[in-house]
Amino acid sequence: METFLQQLVNGLTVGSIYALIALGYTMVYGILKLINFAHGDLAVLGAFIGLTVMTGMAGSGAAPANWIVIVAFVLAVLVVAIAGVLLEFTAYRPLRHAHRLSAVVSALGASMFIENGIMLIWSPQTLTFPEGIMPDTTFHYGSVVISATQISIVAISFVLMLALYLYVNKTRFGTAIRASAIDQDAARLMGINVNKVIVSVFILGPALGAIGGLFIGVYYRQAVFDMGWIYGLNAFIAAIIGGIGNIPGAMIGGLLLGLFSSLAGGYISSTWQQAIVFGLLILILLVRPTGILGERVAEKV
Amino acid sequence: MLKQKILIAVTALTLGAAATTAAAESVTFGVQAPITGQYANEGQGIEKAVRLLARQLNEKGGLLGKDVKVVACDDEGKATQAALCGRDLSNQDVFAVIGSYTSGATAASQPIFARANILQTSDGTAEQLTQHGYKLFFRNAPPNSAEAAFTGEYLVKAKQYKRIAIIADHSSFAKGLGEAVTASVKKEGGNIVYNGFITAGSQDYRSVLTTIKSKNPDVIYFSGYYSDGGLIRSQEKALGIDADFVGGDANQNVKFGELAGKAAMGSVIINVPAPENLPYPEAKSFLNDYNAAYGENPPSIFTLTNADGMRAIVKAVQETNSFDPSDVATYLHSLRDFPGFTGPLGFDDKGERLGSAFQAFEIQGDGSYKTVYPAN
Amino acid sequence: MTIQTMRRVGGMIWVIGLVLPLIASNNWISILSIFAIYAVVALSQDVVLGRAGMYDMGHAVYFGIGAYTTAILNTQYGVPILWTMPIAVVVSALFGVILSAPIVKLRGDYLLVATIGFNEIFRMAMVNNVAGITGGPDGIFGIGVPSLFGYPIMSQGGLYLINWVLLGVVLVLMNNLEKSRLGRVFRYLKEDELAATTLGVNARYYKVLAFALGAGIAGAAGTLFASQLATVSPSAFIFMESVTLFAIVIVGGQASIPGVLLGTVLMFVVPQVFRDLAEYRYLVFGFAMIVVMVLRPQGIWPRRSRPE
Repeated sequence: METFLQQLVNGLTVGSIYALIALGYTMVYGILKLINFAHGDLAVLGAFIGLTVMTGMAGSGAAPANWIVIVAFVLAVLVVAIAGVLLEFTAYRPLRHAHRLSAVVSALGASMFIENGIMLIWSPQTLTFPEGIMPDTTFHYGSVVISATQISIVAISFVLMLALYLYVNKTRFGTAIRASAIDQDAARLMGINVNKVIVSVFILGPALGAIGGLFIGVYYRQAVFDMGWIYGLNAFIAAIIGGIGNIPGAMIGGLLLGLFSSLAGGYISSTWQQAIVFGLLILILLVRPTGILGERVAEKV
Repeated sequence: MLKQKILIAVTALTLGAAATTAAAESVTFGVQAPITGQYANEGQGIEKAVRLLARQLNEKGGLLGKDVKVVACDDEGKATQAALCGRDLSNQDVFAVIGSYTSGATAASQPIFARANILQTSDGTAEQLTQHGYKLFFRNAPPNSAEAAFTGEYLVKAKQYKRIAIIADHSSFAKGLGEAVTASVKKEGGNIVYNGFITAGSQDYRSVLTTIKSKNPDVIYFSGYYSDGGLIRSQEKALGIDADFVGGDANQNVKFGELAGKAAMGSVIINVPAPENLPYPEAKSFLNDYNAAYGENPPSIFTLTNADGMRAIVKAVQETNSFDPSDVATYLHSLRDFPGFTGPLGFDDKGERLGSAFQAFEIQGDGSYKTVYPAN
Repeated sequence: MTIQTMRRVGGMIWVIGLVLPLIASNNWISILSIFAIYAVVALSQDVVLGRAGMYDMGHAVYFGIGAYTTAILNTQYGVPILWTMPIAVVVSALFGVILSAPIVKLRGDYLLVATIGFNEIFRMAMVNNVAGITGGPDGIFGIGVPSLFGYPIMSQGGLYLINWVLLGVVLVLMNNLEKSRLGRVFRYLKEDELAATTLGVNARYYKVLAFALGAGIAGAAGTLFASQLATVSPSAFIFMESVTLFAIVIVGGQASIPGVLLGTVLMFVVPQVFRDLAEYRYLVFGFAMIVVMVLRPQGIWPRRSRPE
């Protein structure tokens, strides 16, 4: 039983990270019907920005650990949000009315560009995060161990997701986002500036992704330039499980995927863990392609 | 990736064309190593050591009067790239190849060099490397079986562990070592409570470790590479598992300590001695030169075993006064007690390394290694 | 230029390719050798993606199944390389049917995601040494060379000719597909599935058939790939390979034979031009993909609409 609880704790932590990254996929898909293949790499960019800040500030020894963490997250969010907007302007906007596969290839090119940009700036090697910045306190319940880092990751993720949910559902601009996702043309006729909505999605998604990416960094205490695609893919699967285009769906999908993956690794096979996740994905696509919360998304032709 | 392969093929060909026009008054040593990718650290170390040795030879007038040149090929630690490197280096008429670091990449290029009549020396520790009967191949590090026998003895006899968990990954090296250690532990009468695999590079090993925790082991042995070993150790501690950690030789890398962080302290790694702990004067002087040239220490002992492989070949050329690979090989097969950086060095008739003993090192609080077994 | 002239020019270029080993340097022969193999895989990807309109982003699986079939049969059972080719084709096509049958009903992006899943599962199965025959992460090495009439073909030129002949055969096949009823059915399905179904086309049957055809052709290329490199390993058939194949078709031009060939050439010429950039090459490559798409969303050499 305690083993099971420990697997749940592990799964919940990873699941929160997947959920944060999945939100970026789902918001872009909801409005543009585009799989933003570069999103995972944007999240990793966040991890590397945070790494640089943390290493630099921890090295100088001037600032207390809490401040280092806050500065790292704020800078990561800022830089990645700017990168997200640049991406939208250069790689996606010119293709808004082209065949959708052109945008897919453009997204793949952008992914390659960002990934290799990270490699050139930070080196192709695995980089480690400095110790002593995140609290290494742990709490024991029987033999179940929960670290303060895990609690922070889960708690902050939940707060962010709740905030996003409220923003999208309770504010005027949030309504505009939802309206644009349902029908861009109708939204435009209602006086909504759809371009502005799209830009906002390319700020919010990458910002949350950057936090998710930096969480990966501080949780495993390492970052490597090409880890974007596997986390991106998992987050994307999470978005599909929840129902692509659906914001609460991405949150639920992320958590479920984290739990499922953790249990599969613990109880079925650790070597086949990732393969089982893909198996689940294909099964869901076959049985309920719209995911748990999704509605039928009209195909853009 | 596709583009990469094409690029290598193309580069190989153009370089090959260029090499044939090079002056005859030089001899070329090839380096086949993972210069980028997961084991970039190790591959770059091997290349640096070979270039340093070549420079030192040239400063003393070259090898039998010939200028020593070095060409390197990046196999990324992958078999497919390794096969391309095999073609590439053969096309450049290299005399001998140093590398590669991983057993898989070495095994992929072995037949190509054998066919092209090129000497090869590698640290790859998979048993099979010396079992094909390639007369020009020399293993410069001791094989898995020697390490496994020592590990079994250490776990069961020396430390008297009662509940042993063994983890490997699917690479031919780690899988082979893991199986050999399992056999050796059983032979010593040890009790294995868990035996499983991880997927190298997947970062999250908590699922496996949580399962292992429920088996209540007193030691976790990991046969794979440092990039995973460091994380396994760190996540083991994070999950509150009390078991000791013992890692195979590929865990000995400065990155292991960085990845494991505070948890690194107390973990034990089984290998031949670390570069900085080598007692031999040749080794100390080479380390000084390496440090002066590159401003850092070699990443691991394998930098030095590969350097030893090259030095043995150089020694054989000088002694036989010949660049004929078969003369050199004949000499090497009877070489005994050559003063290597990593201890007295020789080769048996299969090209298997003779000499050099394993030790168990414990990682100390300051990141240094302390020999804990055998005690002397 | 009419289609007929283009076809004639293409045929002439192919014939010139046949005598190339007599004049070209080993350098160029080797480049063209690998070009021929990847051109065949790209054309097979185009059958599924460009012609039948299914977003298949896991095509490297079928290429890999062909290569592994040859590698296993040749190294374990000593089957001569050229004899393994029909088996590789059948095995790959069979997998094409088995994997696609449940998913062809999925639309657009959902199919794309499912095929990515297949690609990852395939890679993991190879890495985990499934059934103990795939050699794990290091793959299988020591694959032999093809023999013709008892003579092993060892030379670079000989291997090239075999690849070039396969490319020729596949080009003729594509050309016939273009003109055939089957090709037209694929096109209807791509452009308006609903209308095609109303006209009595069994959509599912033809979609699975497109996968089988594409997979089989990729399998044949897999045989030659295994023999050309003498080794196969999971890293040659990863998701990024599928992405590259996908991009070749879209960048070159869907359902356009010259477009797909041009796309394949670009995968060679571009890295060559930027060879001096070494580690910058993928950065440039990614950037180039964006630029080409923004400037030529239909691809560099799009298919010409022609009278039906």
